[in-house]
Amino acid sequence: MAEDETFEPKIIAFLCNWCTYAGADLAGTSRLQYPTNIRIIRIMCSGSLDPTYVVKALLEGADGVLIGGCHPGDCHYLSGNFKARRRVAVLKSVLKDAGLDAERVWLRWISASEGGYFAETVREMVEHIRKLGPNPLQLEWAV
Amino acid sequence: MMMKIPNLDAGDYHDLVRRFLARLLDKKTVYAVLVAKRYPKGRNAAPVLVRDPEMLEGCAPLAPVQGFNAAHAIVELTREQPGMPRGEPRRIAAVLRPCEVRAVIELIKLKQVQPDNLFLIGFDCPGVFNLKTYRELPDSRAEPLGLAGASADGDPEDLREACRLCTHFTADSADVNLAWMGSDAATSEDGSALLVEVCSDRGSELLKGLDAEDVETPPERDAAVSKKREEREQRFSEDAEDLLTLLEPCVRCYNCREVCPICYCKECLLKPEKMGYTPERHLNRAAKKGQLKMPLDTVLYHLTKMNHMATSCVACGVCEQACPMEIPLGRIYNRVGRHAQALFDYVAGRSREEGLPVTTFREDELADVENVKKEMS
Repeated sequence: MAEDETFEPKIIAFLCNWCTYAGADLAGTSRLQYPTNIRIIRIMCSGSLDPTYVVKALLEGADGVLIGGCHPGDCHYLSGNFKARRRVAVLKSVLKDAGLDAERVWLRWISASEGGYFAETVREMVEHIRKLGPNPLQLEWAV
Repeated sequence: MMMKIPNLDAGDYHDLVRRFLARLLDKKTVYAVLVAKRYPKGRNAAPVLVRDPEMLEGCAPLAPVQGFNAAHAIVELTREQPGMPRGEPRRIAAVLRPCEVRAVIELIKLKQVQPDNLFLIGFDCPGVFNLKTYRELPDSRAEPLGLAGASADGDPEDLREACRLCTHFTADSADVNLAWMGSDAATSEDGSALLVEVCSDRGSELLKGLDAEDVETPPERDAAVSKKREEREQRFSEDAEDLLTLLEPCVRCYNCREVCPICYCKECLLKPEKMGYTPERHLNRAAKKGQLKMPLDTVLYHLTKMNHMATSCVACGVCEQACPMEIPLGRIYNRVGRHAQALFDYVAGRSREEGLPVTTFREDELADVENVKKEMS
């Protein structure tokens, strides 16, 4: 799809309370600039995210979904992020089998001290989604 | 380990199975047996809990029909009732199709089946017809498939699609498997012995006192099994289909959830009233997209169900049978489950020891799922 200059992706981010959300907070308090295309939802652990919410975001027209968790080994609940990774693997496999775009779902580990990395991630993802173009499900009324 | 139970003196194969089960009851190895029997006046069959050995007459576990996945019955039979007196433990032997055995094993792992007093007897399953098809079959075709030495033949075109794609048709994860595939290898020359594959220690315990003898696995059986597996493997297509189009006829009856042996939640997340929509939200959503199908969330329902049960899906295909609009759910779930399970080198119901994919993990895996930072291009 041709790159549309006026297209502003809308990205829903599910961020874990202990690492990535704190990382986003740090980005803010450090006054780091990053695109405003992201809507953050705080969850207690990436492992507590039911895939249904990711699917719901995509079906309702979000252009991308970012799932943020602690780095492997750093999970506040010991293994939640490893389980999240398995769930996301299943989710991406199901999306592919349904003929949908699994590339719109990102999973990334960002710690509480990585405010810069968080800002960079948002920039990177917005760029990536901009290249993919708008989520075709936005116009799909029958879902 | 293959074993032969001698001196059962029977007519046809169902008669052999009947006498074998009657012996289990007579010897008090088990208190009751769960086995499919034909209805008195029809040809459909349903699982029946039999206590009186005389009443095993008419049992037909191989009848080519499956109204629902009998794993539901096992949940009922082993359910722990908090606060209720426990009573003496009574042992049950259940004769189940391989997909039902695998569903029971998944349900054991999901803590829905309490297996302590349960023996699983599986059998080589040639497949079933969907009930709608089965009711219209001529009598000549309503008999067990393959038993008359026809197991080497291809599957009928009108067999349940999930069965036509099934490659796990021998119940290797049961306690014992009634191994008849490969024509007459099922019985001894005089037709009075039953060939049984013992797959677990509990299996040996079940056969205690039945004078079972060790025998070699007949080569005809191995040949018949691999031939069938190959035939079915070739039918599987990797090509993704457009799910949104396939789901168009969905009438949201939720039958596929009700009949699914793996969907065990008492309250489903996807109940429409659970979603918490208000008229206002509907209107807002319509405003966002310009238009909106009502009622909504058909695709969300299906995709969520897939996410929740794909790793445990045993591809029995009862959802395909239960769908009033004939959406090819058997084919869809076969593919979705196969791909999801392959990620973890898992096969639903293959073994009791393998942990459920979503409750276990390895530290070093699935690197391609993480979107690690790439160089900006």
